[in-house]
Amino acid sequence: MFRNTREGLALALPAAIFSTLLFLVPVCILLSEAFRAGGSWSLQGYIDFFSTPLNRTVFLRTLKLGVLVAGTAAVIGYAAAFCIVNLGPKSRGKVFGMVVLPLMISPVARTYAWIVILGRTGIVNEAITGLGLSDTPLRLLFTETAVFLGLLQLFLPLMIISLVSAMENIPRDVIPAARVLGASWIAVFFKVILPLTKEGLVIGGTLVFTGALTAYITPAILGGSKVLMLETLLYQRVNVSNDFVSASVIAMILIVMSFSANLLLKRIATARS
Amino acid sequence: MNPSMRHLANWTILGLTLSFLIGPFLIIILAGASATDYLAFPPEGLTLKWYLKVFTVESFRASFLLSMALAVFGTLAALLLGVPAAYALNRYDLPGAETLRTIVAAPIIVPGIIVGLALLRYMVVPTGVTVTLALFMAHTALVLPYAVRVVSSSMTNLRADMEEAAVLLGCSRLQAFTKVVLPNIRGGVLAAFILGFVTSFNQVPVSLFLSGPGVRTLPIDMLAYMEITFDPSVAALSALLAFMSLAIVYTAERLLGFSRYV
Repeated sequence: MFRNTREGLALALPAAIFSTLLFLVPVCILLSEAFRAGGSWSLQGYIDFFSTPLNRTVFLRTLKLGVLVAGTAAVIGYAAAFCIVNLGPKSRGKVFGMVVLPLMISPVARTYAWIVILGRTGIVNEAITGLGLSDTPLRLLFTETAVFLGLLQLFLPLMIISLVSAMENIPRDVIPAARVLGASWIAVFFKVILPLTKEGLVIGGTLVFTGALTAYITPAILGGSKVLMLETLLYQRVNVSNDFVSASVIAMILIVMSFSANLLLKRIATARS
Repeated sequence: MNPSMRHLANWTILGLTLSFLIGPFLIIILAGASATDYLAFPPEGLTLKWYLKVFTVESFRASFLLSMALAVFGTLAALLLGVPAAYALNRYDLPGAETLRTIVAAPIIVPGIIVGLALLRYMVVPTGVTVTLALFMAHTALVLPYAVRVVSSSMTNLRADMEEAAVLLGCSRLQAFTKVVLPNIRGGVLAAFILGFVTSFNQVPVSLFLSGPGVRTLPIDMLAYMEITFDPSVAALSALLAFMSLAIVYTAERLLGFSRYV
């Protein structure tokens, strides 16, 4: 540790000032907009926002999809992570790499694939009409299911990564010991694996939940204006109706949610050390 | 369950998960090669014309160059700000260090779409800054948290007494930094550059509002193209971009064990 505080500040402050001017200040002004809606400080902007049925629907849908995606990711994530941890060292690295790689690829590319799968001339519809199950193609795009699938594919790797690193820390013999002592696999999961990987589950869950909450491309491409989520609603409000008060309310909701998720993460991380 | 059964079950679960995660890319590669004028899968006839068409679309060329420039220069600027900050936060006993850390990390927590809107409304509009400059600054700020985090973590493994020794042996503080610290955190800085580059290049929400006539990042341009045209060229371009990201990450992993830093 160096004691020269002035020197240290000179090195750290440019980054902090840059971040303050470009982030904190503009974002705070935007957030204040909803409170200044009626010309004086009030909660009117919020009251108006939540008294519109469409806004309420979109808000609840965003929450619902966030929870559903995180929950499904947890179920698949546990199964996949358990299998990955049980692999030999060589194939483990390879499989883990294949889980991580999609994260590095443009979300536009990752979401676009679902148009190919779910579109009118996509695989699913070709199969349905080909098998004679339906004469006309089904509308699979622009549904909540499409958005759900897109989001799950986008964020599942985050859950698997968190759970794998949590499971790697389970002592080797604990699970066989529990089995030998007569525990069923269900008991092993709830009494041994789950308690020992709780942190990983919370970390993965928060990452997936906030990711789903703040994703723009997936709801924009797969949901369109039929299945609006908070981010796409914000975009529409600004671009179509120049409504900055609603934009400010949505911004506040998103920031409060992802901020509290981050606080939770931080508390868990510090509780561990 | 006997071992071979368990082995089978293991690989079934992994196979299903991986095909869900990776299958879509294979589909996109093939869909981009379909000879039809619309998206079709399985492809009806194979052709490379959509892969070639991508390079002739004027707006794709322009937006690709803009995205490249933003990713390279934005990340470099973020490193220029972030490396000294990471160094100071690790080596100095600063008052309010925790606050500084939070401020620098804030851009990760705030959803990009909000940042883009806020910059457009309270910086571009009132001051008349060009959209390109605003985009550059937004991308710099976006990458800054990653730069600080990755460089910090490679610095915590570096013992501070090495620099003290360098100073005792007659180096100036600056020389101690450039001759002792920098060579040792080179891998971390490179990893931060790659992570920042990929993050910035793939970024959509920040740039959503920050686009003007002729100024669009590639992902935004793809979104716009998709709305009017249904030919497979976006699939082809998506596949090409996926290959580009994979090539970058693979090279980085081979050369410096990228995953150690991220």
